[in-house]
Parts: sequence; C-alpha cells; structure tokens
Amino acid sequence: MSVTALERNPEVPDISQKQLNDDVLSMVSRPGKIWWAVFILDLLILAVALIAVRNLIFRGWGVSGFMRPVMWAVDITNFVFWVGIAHCGTLVSAVLFLFRSHFRRAVYRVAEAMTVFGVLTAAMFPAIHTGRPWFDYWLFPYPNQRGLWTNPRSPLEWDVFAVNTYLTVSSIFFLVGLIPDIAAQRDRAKNKIIKAVLHLASFGWSGANYQWKHYYGAYLFFAAMATPLVFSVHSVVSWDFAMALNPGWHSTLFAPYFVAGAIFSGVALVINLLIGIRKAYKLEHIVTMEHMEKLAKLVLMTSTMVGYSYLTEFFMAWYGPNKYERDLFWFRATGHYWWAFWIMFSCNVVFPLTLWFKPLRRNLVFLFILCLFVNVGMWFERFVIIVTTLARSFSPATWVHYKMSFTEVCLIVGSFAWFFMFFLIFIRVLPAFSIAEIKETLPVPRRRNGS
Amino acid sequence: MMKLLDPILNLLMPPAPRFKGVMGIFYYVDDAADAVRALRQAGHRNLRVFSPIPHHEIEQALEQGPSIVRWVTFVGGVTGFTAGLSLCIYTCVSYPLVVGGKELTSLPPFMIISYESMILLAGLTNLLGMLALTRLPEVRQAAPYDPRFSEDRVGIWVPCDGEERTRVQKLMGGQSAEEVLVHE
Repeated sequence: MSVTALERNPEVPDISQKQLNDDVLSMVSRPGKIWWAVFILDLLILAVALIAVRNLIFRGWGVSGFMRPVMWAVDITNFVFWVGIAHCGTLVSAVLFLFRSHFRRAVYRVAEAMTVFGVLTAAMFPAIHTGRPWFDYWLFPYPNQRGLWTNPRSPLEWDVFAVNTYLTVSSIFFLVGLIPDIAAQRDRAKNKIIKAVLHLASFGWSGANYQWKHYYGAYLFFAAMATPLVFSVHSVVSWDFAMALNPGWHSTLFAPYFVAGAIFSGVALVINLLIGIRKAYKLEHIVTMEHMEKLAKLVLMTSTMVGYSYLTEFFMAWYGPNKYERDLFWFRATGHYWWAFWIMFSCNVVFPLTLWFKPLRRNLVFLFILCLFVNVGMWFERFVIIVTTLARSFSPATWVHYKMSFTEVCLIVGSFAWFFMFFLIFIRVLPAFSIAEIKETLPVPRRRNGS
Repeated sequence: MMKLLDPILNLLMPPAPRFKGVMGIFYYVDDAADAVRALRQAGHRNLRVFSPIPHHEIEQALEQGPSIVRWVTFVGGVTGFTAGLSLCIYTCVSYPLVVGGKELTSLPPFMIISYESMILLAGLTNLLGMLALTRLPEVRQAAPYDPRFSEDRVGIWVPCDGEERTRVQKLMGGQSAEEVLVHE
C-alpha cells in the first residue's frame, strides 16, 4: 500500500484560524426567538420549583413524601446525581488534558461549564435539606462562643470540604480557561460598554509571550490538581453512604463505582448538550462526528464499568455471609421498588450495549435518545441506592413504603431548570468552545515547508 | 448617554499611553521566530511577542525557561495540607467527642480534609501566582496591541527610540514582517 497524500485528521476542523474566531464568536450574539422561548419556559418551570422550595422551607419537610427512616430520598438523590453530572467536565478538561487526548479540545468548554453549573445545582440540595437553610453556615468550622466544632471524622463533614473545594477549583479552572477567549471576544466587540466589561473579564489579556508561559504553567497544575480532586470528591460522596453500616451501602466498592457512574452520566449529558448546540449554531465542522463518536465510546466504557459494579454488588451479597445484605439486594430487584431497579439496570447496562455498533455510535438521533435514557437510569441508580436501603433496614418494624410527593417532583424538574438557566445564559454570553485550544490543533502558517 | 458613561469606561479600560518603539506584525510563525532570534542577536532583550496561541518555535527563540508558578503552587499546597490537618486536630482536641474510647486524633479520616484543603489552597495560590507572574489584571496597556493578535497574527514589540528605531524597523522589514508600525 502506498500513501500519496497526508490524510487530514478528522478531529481537526478544516478552517483557518480567523474563521475559527468568526464561527465560535458568532454564537455570542443577540438571542433569537427560539432562545427566548426556551429561556422563558425554563424560568417558568423554575418559578414553580421555587414555590415548592418556599413551601418546604416555611411549612417544613412534612409537605414532602419523607417518612422515617427514608429521610434522604429525592434531595440526596438529586445531590448525588448533579455532583455526578459535574464530574464529567473535570474528566474531559483535566484528565484528558494530562493524557494529551486531543479530541477534548473541541468539547471541554461545554463540559466544564456543565461542571460549574452542575455543582451549583448539587450544592443547593443539602442546603435545602437541612430544613433551616439560614443555619447552613453551621456546616463550616468557625470559632464560636460555645466552643462547638464540626466533627472532622464524619463523612458528611468531608463532603462539605470536598464539594466546596470542587466548586472553587472547578470555577477557577473554568474561568482561567476562558481568559484568552474573552480577550478574543473583546477584540471583536463594537459596543464600548461591552468592550470595557470584556476587557475587565479578560484581565486585560494580550497574549504576550510571558503571559502564555505562566498561563500554561499554571493550567497544567490546575489540571494536575483537578484530576485527583475529581476522583476524591465523588469517592467522598460515596462514603456518605459507605461509612454507614446499612445493608446495600457498607461496601468498599462504592468509591470506584460512584466515580464510574458519575463520568457515565456526565458524558451522556455532554453528548445531549453538544448535539443540540452544534445543530442549533451550525458548528458541525468544529464538533465533528469523530468527537461525538469518541464521547459515545466513553459512555460505552463507563457503562460496562457501572454494569460490572452492579453485578459485583449482587455477587458479593450472594457470596458473602451478611444475610441482611442478601435480603436487601433481593428486595431491590424484586420488591416494592423493582420498577426503579429495572429502569436503572436497563438504561445503564443493557441499552448502552448498542454502542458496540459503529453505525449506532454515529447516529446522532439514536445517541441523543440513548443519552437521555442513560441520565434517567443514573438518576434512578441513586434513587435505588438511597431509598431501598433506608426503606428496608435491619428491623422490619422500620420498613416503610416511601412515595414521592408533588413537591419533590417540582424539586427534580426545578433542578434541571436551574441548571439550564445558567447554561442558556452561558452559551449566549461566553464562547462555548475554546478558541485558543482548538486553534492549537489547526495548521500553523509557515513559510518554510508550507502550513 | 454614552458620554456620561465615558469616565467610568475610561477607568475600566483606560486609553493607551504613548509608546515609543517598533511593532512588527507577522503572518508566518517561522518568520516571527527568525525575527526574534535576529533581534536578540542585535542586543534587544526586552521583547514582547504577542500571539493567539503559544508557539514552541517562538518560545525557543526567546530562550524561555519553565514557569516558576509551580513553586508558588507547591507552597500553597503544603500550607493547605498543614492548615487542614491542624484544623482537624485542633477541633477534635478542643471539642472532644470520644467514641468507643478511641483516640481523638485519628489520622486516616483527617487525611481527607487535609487533602481537600491542600487542593483548595494550591488552586488559589496557583491562580494568584499566575496572575502575579503574567502581570494581570493589566488594566492600562503595557505595550501597543492589535486585535489581529487574538486571531492569526504574531506581533513583536521592541521598545526603542532614536536611531535604534530605524535599525529595528529595517531588521523587521528584512525578516519579512507583513507590517511594521513605528510608534513615536
């Protein structure tokens, strides 16, 4: 076989450097009618959810379906779900950065934005769940006249540190990544006020040699720090459960199982968002089919890891000596919440197996629907873990059948509205694709040896 | 309305001061790298090279070493870990919750908070270190700037005056600069 011409890398957009600026910055323009329609609908849904939150806070948790001992139910399900969603952003931006995986360049900004908004959504739930959110500052250790301190041996306190560190570091990582792109946006701005605001937001970036040198020096460290952080945070979230002795929770499998699940659901949501954005803004040449296929492969890989964890849990329950564990897992699959378990299992393990087939990985309508199912499945995974264990603990006297109330449904739908409110504003205000990083993949103009 | 806002806008984005020197604008990156080498050989060490992305060729021509931001981050990380561990030990000793007669200062769970504090402080110092070393925020321009530098052009700014300016101008032209702008 002889190769006569160099093949173009399908992951690299076939455009000039200037055209890249034009295409990405064209997204940041006056919003159209469809954007406004979606945004207003989103705000209306959010308004309903806020009424539900107001009811919860002023009338108390009695308006929810909580019943002892199922006191974590939907709130903590939502918390774990959204923290999980958030994890994919850091995986794509930091972990794949360290592995020099070039396909991340076109997709990481959307994933990172999802991280920040995902953590913002997640953090709301424990805050509301305390019942008296005006006392939420009690979660932090601070000197007080009664000499009380938080307990650093409690996994719930670890979570306070982990989630807040994650929110801070992922926000910094996101904003630092935006600096050169906001400067490019500033250079295009015609309106004086917008230009001045963007100048301030870009810290007056000019792309000078010493700026790039320290910028990438620091960026590498952000990536190096965010990588273990992403694994630690969801491990800590899993230890909220695993440190308790309850059947179905007390397992060393939980940390890797949760991390894989988090990446699984996060990548699925990134695929959903990217399919929408690339279609709406005609950016198929920047986020190419190759990018989508690689993300689909990530979904397939993490799906098999999650599936393996589900089966290990069942195997250990059957093989191990703990009778309560065995009963609980039997209850999960065949008991009162069998439907939730089977939604979880089919959406997370069975349906993603279709991604072994290349034509299906490259079929965006199929991929979009599949990823919606994955996220439904991942929400139910957390629901199954939390509710079945709490509803079926050691003593039959404490067994209950938890039923979700309308207020909790509002909280679930509202969390999506809250997330999408930030996301819709983001794609209109800031460059949703990293101009500087995609530009690095484009051929550089050279006089000698051509481009 | 805009005129009323002008003082605020000037404060946010002050007009550029007068600069003295030569700005060469290049399309080809290898031309720009050659120009940097030639200028440095001619004794111009105070160069500022603008580009939309970092180029290794230019970095090599400038003989740039690695960034020292790593040391700032390291100090932040060590401080964070120590602060986190100290907080855990202090809070447990100051407000003792004895469980099953076990030790108050149990290191394994403390490692988690210490680790998170390490990442938090390292992240913050990494940011502050980067801002300090890149001299950001740069509210008032430190050198002339062209919007094409964020698109596809490379700019080399040489602060100079008098006869030196003419020499630099010629040198840039000889290195195939697309445009040579003289600031007087």
